[in-house]
Amino acid sequence: MKFSYNWLGSLLEKPLPPAVELGDLITFHSAEIEELIDVAGDTVLDVKVLPDKSAWLMSHLGMAKEIAVITKNTLKTDPFSNPVTIPTDERIKVSLNSVTCDFYSAALITGVKVGPSPDWLKDRLVALGQRSINNIVDATNYVMFELGQPLHAFDADKLSHADGRHHIVVRDAKPGEKITTLTGEEYTLNPSDALIVDGGNDIPVGIAGVKGGAVAAVDAGTTNILLESAHFDRFAVRKTAKILKLQTDASKRYENGICRAIAPIALTRVIELILEVAGGVTEVITSVGDVSVERQPVTVTLNEINSLLGVSLTMSDVEDILSRFAYTYTTAGGSVTVTPPFERDDLVIAEDVVEEIGRIYGLGHIVSIPPTVGAVAEINVRHYYSEKIRETLMALGFSEVYTSSFRAKDVVKLENALATDKGYLRSSLVENLREVRTANIPHRDLLGLQAVKIFEIGTVFGVESEEFRVGVAVQTGTSYKAKVDDPLLEEVLTALATVLGVTPELISKAEGIAEFSLDALLPQLPAVTAYEPQAQLPKITYRPFSLYPAVSRDIAMWVPEAVTTQSVEEILAAEAGPLCVRLTHVDTFSKDGKTSLAFRLVFQSFDKTLTDEEVQGYMDTLYKTVANQGWEAR
Amino acid sequence: METPRGHKHPLSQVIAEINSIFAEIGFTFAEGPERELVAFNFDALNVPKDHPSRDMQDTFYLADKPDVVMRTHTSPVQVRHMKSHTPPIKMICPGKVFRNEATDATHEAQFFQIEGLMIDTDVSLGHMKGVLEYFFSRFFGGEVQVRFRPSFFPFVEPGVEVDMMIAPSPDNKLSGRWIEIMGAGMVHPNVLEASGIDSTKYQGFAFGMGMDRLAVLKYGIDDIRLMYNGDLRFTNQF
Repeated sequence: MKFSYNWLGSLLEKPLPPAVELGDLITFHSAEIEELIDVAGDTVLDVKVLPDKSAWLMSHLGMAKEIAVITKNTLKTDPFSNPVTIPTDERIKVSLNSVTCDFYSAALITGVKVGPSPDWLKDRLVALGQRSINNIVDATNYVMFELGQPLHAFDADKLSHADGRHHIVVRDAKPGEKITTLTGEEYTLNPSDALIVDGGNDIPVGIAGVKGGAVAAVDAGTTNILLESAHFDRFAVRKTAKILKLQTDASKRYENGICRAIAPIALTRVIELILEVAGGVTEVITSVGDVSVERQPVTVTLNEINSLLGVSLTMSDVEDILSRFAYTYTTAGGSVTVTPPFERDDLVIAEDVVEEIGRIYGLGHIVSIPPTVGAVAEINVRHYYSEKIRETLMALGFSEVYTSSFRAKDVVKLENALATDKGYLRSSLVENLREVRTANIPHRDLLGLQAVKIFEIGTVFGVESEEFRVGVAVQTGTSYKAKVDDPLLEEVLTALATVLGVTPELISKAEGIAEFSLDALLPQLPAVTAYEPQAQLPKITYRPFSLYPAVSRDIAMWVPEAVTTQSVEEILAAEAGPLCVRLTHVDTFSKDGKTSLAFRLVFQSFDKTLTDEEVQGYMDTLYKTVANQGWEAR
Repeated sequence: METPRGHKHPLSQVIAEINSIFAEIGFTFAEGPERELVAFNFDALNVPKDHPSRDMQDTFYLADKPDVVMRTHTSPVQVRHMKSHTPPIKMICPGKVFRNEATDATHEAQFFQIEGLMIDTDVSLGHMKGVLEYFFSRFFGGEVQVRFRPSFFPFVEPGVEVDMMIAPSPDNKLSGRWIEIMGAGMVHPNVLEASGIDSTKYQGFAFGMGMDRLAVLKYGIDDIRLMYNGDLRFTNQF
């Protein structure tokens, strides 16, 4: 949520630390600051408020309280210091006919003058990225950002009022019932959605806890308003917001469990603000439902605090922090019992209090305790043998790939796939390996490979079962050729049988791809008592590769017998130009006192696809070099 | 041409190194199914149905099986491990996890995580700090400090974000600055109890981080999707 630095400062007695410093204090003691944004005359702190604190920290008051505790400041006034009760006044009839609503308060204000908000109010909303609409709507939004309580204003004259009384009903939607929201979108509702309905004509005027309807919207001609400050069930609102894909500032606060005791306080506050910015007279205030909240005391021992955090606080340190929170607490023999304030739903178990104390004290005080060296209780056999298999395959030139667990079509279907070609779980590694093998064929020269040789060790899924498999794939030419490729695959299977001492039973072997179950193999393998030592690899830094095609050219020449392959390679490399990304010696034979040497060069640019002419230019340079050396190109 | 040696996928290398480092300090390597019961993926981890904390992870569900998901984290492995072992427990659980999120250079719908768990009668955030500093120092080389910031994960209380800083070194671009690296905390008593561990007697820490991120940091990989598309122009650099 976005917080205005000026607004926060206005709620506290003493000045705030500078914004950057305040941001750090909040990050290290409360919640992560995602961004500090400079806006005209103010700084906005964008704070990632996580679910445990969302019931009370999604308001300037909540954040100001945190700042007061962290920086030893004091709130000017705490609107939550005393619960407010509003008696029922039958001049506005409220019927709560849905379990989604347990408290509804309303007020009728007549004679308001709708118009633009005063600058101070506009500035605060605009700083938070909100659009200023008019003084009435702005006032309801302002109080929501101030206290956390969603509010709504209806045009009272657009609601029916038989015998001079308005009638507000909260009821569940009828299947297929429709509503058009304030911003003009139409939604079709389900019985799990609760509605605010005009009791006079049963027409929906709002989606409970989510958004107001267009029917009774406040506009420039409005003179009488009916204000709503209610409490709706968090799970019901969450469900509605999810199903309708309509998450609003209001729904976010309800679904995070804002305390219902705030609703009457916020109604009182918004009335006061509307009278200030739009004038008018409060005719009726009423409420229906229960607003009482009872928080259970939580006891935690000093020992638990120190033992969980790894710190050594004294009881007086703990009491100092609790009194900064202004919590009601008692101490007795090394333990403290805290009664949370009504708006805090997140202090339920001892560990919750430990967190409060730890974060205010400062997690930076935690001292590391170095681990003790000791043997593992169990060896992971699958990891042990996976490593053995990797080593064996790598020694034969096979490289490891990780491929997607998803396929376009297979046995086990996902309910909510990301894309139609990822709708199923793979039941085998074979098809993925086939695709990856094909995709790598064009890169053989670039990578200096004669054949694409790959393997994967990964999970596959049956209807109920799930197992680790090993898949191996090989292909030398542009298509699979049994005569060339099968021996390479056989070589792998033989090597595995030798290393493991057991011949893996293949699930499939066709067209240069073989697969077997690692899980089925493991029970047949010797027991393991220790891991092999882990080889230290040289430091590797990945280098991005060009996405443009590589072009291969061969060059062959006769050189005198005394000339070494290496010296020729060096001369060619020096002249091949910066776009030659690989130079490989591919062939040697001798005849009549002369040696024939052949090399393959691969050219590739990071910026473009190379043309034949460009590559020929580089080759011409090389042919000239060869001629200048007195060698004979073939 | 002679056959050049093949290449190990960087994630396999990272898993092997992690296991090797943690094995030195007695952490076992546990595994569990990638297709997991909601009961283990969420319920036992104190992530109630219809609670906003479930929204912290976008989940793949299986068709016609509302009680089965592709695990969104390897935490269910912790639950399974606690159910089958008695404290003291020291374990890590690297493995593949799934999130129903759009993919880009830093997000994949399937990726690898490494989580760890240590349970005993007196395990504290101080032990966690020590274990993580040991691990990161060994993994990245050089002396690594960690720091905690308050955070929230339903399965821990208190919950923290962990930042690390590698001691300044001229040849290491990662060094000398704080890097946000993982989430962690003290295992929530509800999780201990749901896993059959007496929370009045035992306590401990759990941590979890993206293994892809470890690989990205260690090797300077600029797009994590490269790790999952089988392109040898990538793999063969390792």
